Amino acid sequence: MSAVMSHDFVPNESAIDWAEKRYLLIDDFVGIRQLLRESLRNLGAKHIDQAASGGEAMVLLAKTRYDVVLCDYNLGDGKNGQQVLEETRIRHLMLPSSVFLMVSAEKSVESVMGAAEHQPDAYIIKPITEGVLLTRLNRVWIKKQIFAEIDQAFADKDYLRAARLCDAAASQNKLHEIDLLRMKASMLLKAGEPDQARQVYERVLEDRDYNWARSGVAKIRMKSGEPEAARQMFQAVIADNRFYIDGYDQLANAYLLLGKTEEACDVLERAAKLSPNSVPRQRSLGTVALKLGNIPLAEKAFRKCIEIGEYSIMKTVDAYFGLARVLGQKNDPKEAIRLLNSAVHQFAGNQVELRAKITEGLVYHESGDFKRARKSGDELEQMLASEPKRPDTDTCLEMATLLFAVGVKEAPKDLLCYLAKNNDDNQPLLEELQRVFDKARMSEEGEALIQASRKEAADMMNKGVLLWKTGKLDEAVAWMRDARLALPNNLRILFNSAQILISHLQQIGFNRELSEEATSVLMHVDHISPGQQRFAQLMEQLAMLAPAPAALASAIGDQLEAMGDSMDRSARE
Amino acid sequence: MDDQVDDQAGSPELFMFLASTVHDMKNSISVLSGTLENLMSAASAPASEDYPQLSHMLYQTKRLNDNLIQLLALYKEVGKPGYPFEPMPQQLGELVNQVASQARVLLQSKSITLDLDFDPAQIWTFDEDLIIGVLVHAINNAIRYTKDRVRLAIKVDGDYLDFRVEDNGDGFPPAMLEAGAEALDTQRSAVNFLTNSSGLGLYFSREVAHMHKHRQRTGTIALSNGSTLGGGCFTLRLP
Repeated sequence: MSAVMSHDFVPNESAIDWAEKRYLLIDDFVGIRQLLRESLRNLGAKHIDQAASGGEAMVLLAKTRYDVVLCDYNLGDGKNGQQVLEETRIRHLMLPSSVFLMVSAEKSVESVMGAAEHQPDAYIIKPITEGVLLTRLNRVWIKKQIFAEIDQAFADKDYLRAARLCDAAASQNKLHEIDLLRMKASMLLKAGEPDQARQVYERVLEDRDYNWARSGVAKIRMKSGEPEAARQMFQAVIADNRFYIDGYDQLANAYLLLGKTEEACDVLERAAKLSPNSVPRQRSLGTVALKLGNIPLAEKAFRKCIEIGEYSIMKTVDAYFGLARVLGQKNDPKEAIRLLNSAVHQFAGNQVELRAKITEGLVYHESGDFKRARKSGDELEQMLASEPKRPDTDTCLEMATLLFAVGVKEAPKDLLCYLAKNNDDNQPLLEELQRVFDKARMSEEGEALIQASRKEAADMMNKGVLLWKTGKLDEAVAWMRDARLALPNNLRILFNSAQILISHLQQIGFNRELSEEATSVLMHVDHISPGQQRFAQLMEQLAMLAPAPAALASAIGDQLEAMGDSMDRSARE
Repeated sequence: MDDQVDDQAGSPELFMFLASTVHDMKNSISVLSGTLENLMSAASAPASEDYPQLSHMLYQTKRLNDNLIQLLALYKEVGKPGYPFEPMPQQLGELVNQVASQARVLLQSKSITLDLDFDPAQIWTFDEDLIIGVLVHAINNAIRYTKDRVRLAIKVDGDYLDFRVEDNGDGFPPAMLEAGAEALDTQRSAVNFLTNSSGLGLYFSREVAHMHKHRQRTGTIALSNGSTLGGGCFTLRLP
C-alpha cells in the first residue's frame, strides 16, 4: 500500500499526556459510549468511567475529580447535558484546570446558546473522530494554561491585575488574542472601569463585528444612563443575528429601563420561543407578564419555568411565588396556598418561609380576602420580630407595601427605615420609600423617618472617619465594626470600613486577622453591588500589602470557599 | 423578522419528532462509520476479498453522514432556528489536522494519497465546524472522481483565504460544472441546483461561504477543471 499522506504532522502540543487522565463519558446510547471509549483508549487512556444518564453522571462527578468529561447534550429523560454542566460548575465538582466537552448531534441555538453563563470548554459535533477529539483537547488544554494565572486573579477578585495579565498574554498569543481581549473587557467592567472596557470592545470591533463586543458596548451605554442608545444597538445586533439570544435578554432590560414594559415583554416572549429551556428567561418573562396583568402569559411562563427547573440546579423558588400570584389573581387562592406550601417544602432556608408568607398575603389581598390577608400580615410581623436579618431591597419594599395595605403599622415603618439607613445616598430608592409612605397616607411622618434614618447613618460614619482622621485608628476600626453590624448593607460604611482597615495595615504592617476582615468586607460589597471602581482599587491596595502572594491567596481562598458555600445555598433556593 | 420567528411555532410536535429521529440516526451512523473505521484500521490485509466492499461501505456511510450534517446545519430551511454561526480565529494546522483525520481511513482504503500544501501557523477567522464540513465533503467528493491523488492547498490571496481541493481524475462532468456555476450565482434560488445529485453538498458549501462576511466582502465557492493535478478543482474563498 502506498504512503497515505505526504504530510503527517502532529502539533507539538501532543506532548500532553492524555493517557494518565481520568475520563467520564456521558451518553444514553451504549454504542456511542463504546466507540468513544475505543477512541480514548487509542489515545492511551486507562481510567474511563461511563454514565448513561445525567443523574448517573452527577453521582460519579460528586465522587471523582475527572480531568476530562465528554457529555452528550441529549440524554433522554431527566437532566440534559447543559444541566449536567451547570450543576457541575455551580457545585464545583471539577477543578478549573479540567475540561468539559459538550457533544451533540447538531449545533443548534438551543444546545449552543441556551445559557450564556455556563459554557463548556468546547463543543464537538458527532461523529467524533480521534483527530478532532485530540485537536480540541490539546487546544483547550493550552488555552487553560494561558488563562490559568488570569483565572486565578479573577477568582481572587483582583480584577485590575487580571486585566493587566490579559494584556500581557494577548501580545504573545495571536490565536487567543480575541478571547483574551474579551476577558480583559469583562474584568475592567467588574473593576468599575467601563470607559476602559469600552475601548477594548471598540478595538476588537475594528477587526470584526463580533456580537459580544457590540453587545458589550451597548451594555456599557445602558449602565451609563443611555438606555435608548443601548436599545438601538441591541436591536441592530439582533437584526444581524437573530439567534444571538443574549441580545434579546439585554434588549428587554433596555426596554424596562425606558419604562416600556410591554415592549420588554414582547422581546422576552420572542427569546423564549427561540430558546425556551432557560430558567432565568422564563422567570423574567413571567415576572414582566405578571406586572402587565397578562395572566395567561405569566402562567405559561411560570409553569414552563417550574417544568424545566425540575432537573436543573437553576431551579428557582421565584417561579412558585410567581405562579401563586397568578393563581390568586385567577381567584384560586386555595391552589395558590397549596403551591406555596410545596415551595417551602422543596426549597430550604434563606428566607423562603418569609417570602412565602409575603406571597400568601399578596394572594389573599389580591383575591379580596382581606381578613386572611391581615392574618398573614400579623404573622409576617412576628417573623420579622424574631429574625434580625432582613432580605434584599426589593423583597423588603414588597413586604412593607403589603403590610401597610393589610393594616399593619409599625413593622413596615421599621423596614423602610432599615432601607433608608442602608441606602442613605441612593436618591432614587429614597424617593421610592417616600412613595410607599405616601400610598399609606403617611407622607409627613415618612419624610421625617427617612430624614432621621439618613442622619443616623451619616452620624455613624462621620464619627468613624473623624476617629480615623485624628489618628485614633484602633478606635476607628472598632467603631466601624459596630457600624457594620448596625448597617450591614450601607455601601459608604462598608467602603470606609475597608479603607480604614487598609490604612491601619499600612501603618502597623501586615496582620492576617485585619487583612481577612478587610477582605470579607470587600467580598460582601462586591456581592451586594458588583462592578464598583472603589472595590477594585481597594482590592489592589490590599493585595499589595500582603507579605507574600501565598499568604493572601490562602486568606482569600478561605473567604471564597465560604462564599462558595453561601452561593450553593442560594442556588438550591 | 417577527414572522420568521413565529413560523417555527407551526408544528412543535412534528419538529420534536423530526429532531429526535435525526438525533437517533446520527447516533447509528456514528457507530456504523466508527466501527467500520476501526475494522479497517485493524484489518492489516487490504488484500482480503472483503476489503474493497468494506471500503465502499465506508464511503457510502460517510456520504450519508455528510448529508445529515449538512441537513442539520441548514435546518432553518425546514423551519427550525438556524445554526449559531460563530467565526473565531483558527490556526490552519489545527484545521487541516482535523480534516485529514476524518478522511484518513477512507483515503487509505482506496490507496489514495492526500497532498497537503499550506502554512500551519497561518491564522484566519472562520466557523471551524462549518469549514471542516465543507472541506471533508469536497475531499470525499474528490475521492469519487480521482485516480490516486487528492490535494488540499490553502494560501492567503490578497484579502481572502483560498482553499483548493484538487484531484487527478478526469475532471467534473458538465452537469456538475453547471451546478457549480449556479452555486456561484447568489440570485439563483436554491431549488435549481438541489435537483442535481450533488446539489445538497454544493448548496451547503455555498451557504457556508456566504455566511462568512468581512468588510463588505463575502465568501464564494467555484468548481473548475484542469487543476495542478490535472483533474477537478473545488475552490472555497473566505474573506
